[in-house]
Parts: sequence; structure tokens; C-alpha cells
Amino acid sequence: MNLIPLILYAAAAVAYAVHFARRQPAAGRTATTLLVAGALAHTFIIGMLTVRSGHIPVAGATPAISTFVWLLALAYLYTEVTTDERAMGVFILPLLVALQIIPAVNPGVEDRAAVLHSSWFGVHVSSLLFADASFALACVIGVTYMLLFKEIKAKHLGFFYARLPSLQVLDTMNRRAIVVGWIFLTVGVIVGTIWAAQARAIDPTDPRVQAMSLEDPKIFVALICWLVYSFEVAVTRLAGWSGRRAAWLSIVGFAIVLLNLVPISYFLTRSHNF
Amino acid sequence: MQILLLGVNHRTAPIDLRERLDFSTRGLDRALGEIATLGAGREAVVLSTCNRAEIYVACDDAAESRRELAAFMSAFHQVPASELVPHLYDEVDGLAVRHLFRVAAGLESLVVGEPQILGQVKEAFAAASAQNAVGPLLTRLFHSSFAVGKRVRSETALAEGAVSVSYAAASLARKIFGSLEGRRVLVVGAGEMGKLTALHLRTQGIGQVAVTSRTMAHAEQVVDTIPGAVAVPWDTLAPELARADVVVTATGSPTPILTRAQIAAATGPHRGRPLFIIDIALPRDVDPSAGTLEQVFLYNIDDLQTIVRENLSRRSSEVTQADAIVDEEVDRFVAWVRARGAVPTVVALRQHFDAIRRSELQRLEPKLASLAPEARARVEEVTRLIVEKLLIGPTEQLKALPDTETMTLYAEAVSRLFELDPGEPGVQGSLARHRATKLKS
Repeated sequence: MNLIPLILYAAAAVAYAVHFARRQPAAGRTATTLLVAGALAHTFIIGMLTVRSGHIPVAGATPAISTFVWLLALAYLYTEVTTDERAMGVFILPLLVALQIIPAVNPGVEDRAAVLHSSWFGVHVSSLLFADASFALACVIGVTYMLLFKEIKAKHLGFFYARLPSLQVLDTMNRRAIVVGWIFLTVGVIVGTIWAAQARAIDPTDPRVQAMSLEDPKIFVALICWLVYSFEVAVTRLAGWSGRRAAWLSIVGFAIVLLNLVPISYFLTRSHNF
Repeated sequence: MQILLLGVNHRTAPIDLRERLDFSTRGLDRALGEIATLGAGREAVVLSTCNRAEIYVACDDAAESRRELAAFMSAFHQVPASELVPHLYDEVDGLAVRHLFRVAAGLESLVVGEPQILGQVKEAFAAASAQNAVGPLLTRLFHSSFAVGKRVRSETALAEGAVSVSYAAASLARKIFGSLEGRRVLVVGAGEMGKLTALHLRTQGIGQVAVTSRTMAHAEQVVDTIPGAVAVPWDTLAPELARADVVVTATGSPTPILTRAQIAAATGPHRGRPLFIIDIALPRDVDPSAGTLEQVFLYNIDDLQTIVRENLSRRSSEVTQADAIVDEEVDRFVAWVRARGAVPTVVALRQHFDAIRRSELQRLEPKLASLAPEARARVEEVTRLIVEKLLIGPTEQLKALPDTETMTLYAEAVSRLFELDPGEPGVQGSLARHRATKLKS
């Protein structure tokens, strides 16, 4: 079922690329329409799963990735509509397509362990996925900032100069996405801590619950993410760091997030493999 | 009706002649009024800019109108015909349409793709419209030309990229800072180039302008010519550098006046925003190594001129694509004119059929008199619909005929068959020549 949004996202990715390369307004409108259709289909799927199981499908790495893709599509659409700027689509869509392949190929079965029957759990995962979506946006904005910065600095005003918004706009968007992401990351981590304590009371024998400590790779890397983004928020807000450095931090931060979202979730963690 | 264009531009006439032929100084409205009395054109638009003086008319006889308009231009501007005529060019119908579309697209401009011309074409049309000098043909022609101008700008890169140094500087500033509102430019030096760049940035919406010079009086003189600008003393250069977003240096100093250390001090690690330095002085005012500082974008006059050259060559590579759009729109316009040529025949045919319908109804009046009002209305309606349906096919066929010669033949045949008298002949054959002449050119 996750195949339909995947196809629509892939078609939108092609349309965004055509729009970016040729700058035809019609291609841009097609791209947005396809992405909206993909997001709607995805909303429908997630809605149906929620109605069937009575909770948002976030338990387990595969449903979580699908929900992450959905949130990122919505977050990107929000940015596009509010800024009237389509240039970022060509960078975001490949990420959506690549990640959506996982739930499309392997839908996964969701059986919720007893410890997951808690509203704290839902809040924990949802807010972390939303934080990750913000960081993904910030990363893409950071990449475009670097590309444009390089062109202007090197005095070769070319491809990106003609297509991207100003450095100032990109910098503001990056800072905003980081602050929003940081707030949700902080909430997610705090709620996760509360829920872990609760889980220990419910089922102390579950090996996953026992593994919930800083020694677990997923939790450890999440803490590193929090430190990186806290640092970025602090230096850009308080120390007046330049847009280029902030862009770098956004790119590095999301590389760590992605590491945690896919390989660590599937292969390394002992506490988060539901 | 034919469309005729007569005029001079920067390619055919030297500047002093173009100055003497400027309609705006002698009164555009008066010119339009005088053209209306000539009988040369039933509709007229005068396009007068610093690079061209052109008259577009819709007339019955292009050759006759051409003579009249040339004589008018010579008399109106008091330029002897012998002096004027060698510089005049003229085009008829398809080629005149093509010329106007190329003008609106910026293809005929001195700087290809420059943005002002479309506005000037719109103003010329508005002026003629206000004088009631235009009818349906030129209205459609000029509206089509606005559409061509827009299409070329949105579908090609013909109008993209700055093509003057000060415009290149302003567009770079916008790419760095987004909106220039609330930004501050510091002009170092009281020379002409610095003043012009600051003035340009001011018209592009930059918030504040500060001018500094070793001699305060010189800075104050410059400030008087730029609205809202302030003069600042030379010894506040360091704090002013730290305050500024854009710095324009244009002093006559033989050695650099801004060192890397000075700029590094102004853009400390806590600055949080870039500094854009435009060094338009020769020899350079700013130590080139300052360009490697983290938050500094340093452009000198050569860098800006390189950008301008690149943009110009990119624009010229877009000309073919823009011309393709122009040709497409010319074809569309010519097709419209041709379809319009069928109108008198169609109208006459329609009137003829309707007259028959009415007379038949009149003849049957005694028999219909006994019917109820609703039934009579129904009869009226049904007969009208029959006539409509009978005419749909012939009307569409006439409008879609491929060329004017065929249309004239068809119009004559229809007129003969139904004994019509369509006021004026179907169409002039001249527009059909559009394709042939286009191929030749």
C-alpha cells in the first residue's frame, strides 16, 4: 500500500528536477500537485492504520520511517507554501523517495508489545520524528546555502545563483527549522525518559526495556544529536555565528540523525527494536 | 485593412537625428491628433523612446499611408525630408507585426532583453487609447505584443542577469541580503562612480546611505544629491564599517585605503551577517586578500564587468528561442486577422438567413395568430435555432480557411450563391505575404 505514495513522490521528484533545471512554471505546478497527491495518499494510509490499530503507526523502525517521510512531506509543503519557493524540492524529494522505498518494499508487521501501550510512547516517537523532519529540511537548506555561498564567494554566478533564494532567506529558514526541530527533539527525549521509567515498572523482564540506557547506540547517538543541535541553536542565536557555519552544523547534524534513523535502528540498537 | 509601421531606431539613425524626432518633447497627443486628420490611418499608435520613434497605423492603402506619414514626420519635427527619409524603415502587415513583437520582447533593444521597453510599449498604447486613436485591430495587436513580451521574459533567459556594473552590484546585494530595506551602505570616497552606485542602490530600496570622504565638505556635496543620505566623518571609518552591510569604495587613492586587518576588525566572529564590499576604484581601494575573510564578499570593478559580459553573451544565446516565440505569436495573430476577414461574409450570411426567417414568419402570421403566446414564442425559438444550426458549419469553415486567397474565393462564392452584399471585401491579401516574406528574411 505504501507503493502508491512512493510512485507519486518519485513522479514529483522528476517534476521538481525538471522545474529546477528548466525553470518552467508549469513543471513547478505539476511537481507541487504530485507531491500534494502523494502526501494525501500517504495521509490516507497512515489514517487507515491509525483507525485500525487505534494508535499512530510508529512502533517499529519501518512504520516509523513511513511516518517520518509523511511528516517531512508535510513540513516541506508547508515551507513551500509559506515562502513561495520551490527550489528546495529538488533536494528534499530524493530523500523522501529513498526512505519511502523501505516501507514500500517491506511493510513490516506491527505488533505492539505490552510496554508500548502508553500515550507517552506515542508522544515520544511522534515528536522525535517531527524533529527529524525539521532537521532534514534544515540540512537541505544548509546544502543549498553552501552551494550559493560558494558561487558568490568564488564570483562564478551560475546555475544555483539563478535558481536559489538569497543567502539571507536561506539562513533565516535554516535557523527557524533548527529551533523548531530542537524544541521537538528536547520534548521527545524528556518524554522518552519518563516513558522508559514507566516501562521498567510494567515489564522489567523485557530485554529491550533493560537495554534502555545511555550504553545503547540509539540512545547514545540521540544524545549526541541533541548536543549538536543545542550547540547550533546557542551559537547562531547568542554568539552571532555566520550563516555558513550554521549551514555546516545543520548538514552534520542531519547526517547523524539519518544514521540513527536507519542503520542503527535496524542493526545495532537493543532497546528500540520493537 | 493593412498594418503599417514607419520609423527610425538606434540602428538606422544617429543620436542627434533621433533626438530631433522625439515625439514626447513635441507632444505625443498632438502627434496622434494630427495623424488622425491625415486619413493615412484609421488607427494609430506612436512609440517614442530614446532609441526609437515609430508610428504604427491600421490603414487601407499602405503605400499611400507611407508617403503621408513620412511627410507628416518631416513636417511635425521640422526635419527636411531629404535628411529624414534615408533613415526611415517601414514594414507592412506580417512583418510590421513581427517587428512590434520583437520590440516588445526586447529583441530590438540596444541592450538585448532590457526591461523598460515593454513598459514603454504599454504606455504608447495607453496614450493612443486615451486619445481614441486605436480600434480593434491595433488594440488586439498591442495586447498580443504585451503577451509576447511576457512570454519571452518568462520562458527564456533573454532578460536575465545584470547588464550594467551598478545593476550587477545591486542584484548581488539582493542575492546576499534578500530585501535591501533596513540595510546600510557606506560609500567611501566622494567621486562620481561611488555616487552613482549609491544612487542606484537607493532606488533599489536600500534603507540607509552614509558617505564618507577625507574632506568632509566633499562628502556633504555628494549627500545633497542622494535623498536620505548622511555624511559621516572620516575618523569614524572603523565603526561605520562595522555598521554597514554594503561598502562601496571609489576613492582616487593610489594605495589601498582598507586593509585586511581593518575589515577583519569590522567583521568579528560575532557579527552574524555578511559584509558586501564593492571596490570600483582603480587602482583598488581594498586589499584583495580581505575577500578570503569568512563573512566578506569582495567584488572589484573587473569582477563586475566580467559578470556583465557573461550575462550579455548568455542573453544573446537566448535570441533564437525568443525569436521562435515571436514567430509563433505572429502566426497566431495573422490567423486571427484572417478569421476576422471572414466576419463581413459571416455577418451578411447570418442577416440573409434571419431575414428569410422573419419574412416567412410574417407570411404565416394569420395562421399563427390563433396560437397561445407560449406556443408563438416556441415557434420563434425553433425557427431561430434552425437558422443557427444551419450556419454553424459554414461559419467555422470560413474562419478556418488556411490562406487569404482561398478565403476571398470562398467569400465571393458564398456571396454569389446567396446574393449577399458583405459591405467590404472579405480580407486583404497582404497578410498572406507574411509567411513568404518571413522566409525571405
